[in-house]
Amino acid sequence: MTAPLTRPVDEPTVDETYESDRPWQVVVWNDPVNLMSYVVWVFRKLFGYPVEKATELMLQVHHEGRAIVSTGPLEKVESDCHRLHHHGLWATLEKT
Amino acid sequence: MSRPFRRDGEQIVVSLSAPERAAIAALPEVIEAAGDADGRFAYQAHPDDPGAARRYQELVGEDLASLRAADRAAFAAALGADSLDVELAEAFMRVVGEARIVLASRLGIEEDGWEESASIDDPEIAMLHYLGFLQNALVEVLSNPE
Repeated sequence: MTAPLTRPVDEPTVDETYESDRPWQVVVWNDPVNLMSYVVWVFRKLFGYPVEKATELMLQVHHEGRAIVSTGPLEKVESDCHRLHHHGLWATLEKT
Repeated sequence: MSRPFRRDGEQIVVSLSAPERAAIAALPEVIEAAGDADGRFAYQAHPDDPGAARRYQELVGEDLASLRAADRAAFAAALGADSLDVELAEAFMRVVGEARIVLASRLGIEEDGWEESASIDDPEIAMLHYLGFLQNALVEVLSNPE
């Protein structure tokens, strides 16, 4: 549930359109359980990456601990993040 | 071990033996019984922004729980089948993956390289490897339509 609006209606506010259009990025974090082959499959399935790109991202996650797998406006990356969570991958969002 | 899955057009043919099917029949219950004591399934899209995290949770939290429950139901329904469509096979694969996460959590696995020191004589380690074998086999057939 959201909190009730308490500020005056004419108070200057952040430009929400601008905020929601700011590019965001989805970060996938390494975990010791998910199979490398499965992670590659997930990246191909969810983002349509060719196997080479998906493998490169998986290896970056494995060796560096994290990789940026998609970018875009908040609505898009939240959807991406949700689908990654549904597939058991640990993903978070960051502003670029 | 024989090849547990093969592709036949739009179908995934299942060649699991009765003992293999029995061994994995309880996976949905294992996942449900484990709950999420260590927070592995408490996914945070916005870990450093409580307000955004709340909004995101309200937006998709229930949906994710429903999707995971639907996957477990699909898995249970698919367990006795001789062939699966792609959507069902994907749900099956996600449940196998979740069960691996639950087992790994129970075993205290937190770092890469655990396979090198794990004892195959431990039944849960053996199950973890077996589920990995199944998941990898599903990845192979789902990655190669023909």
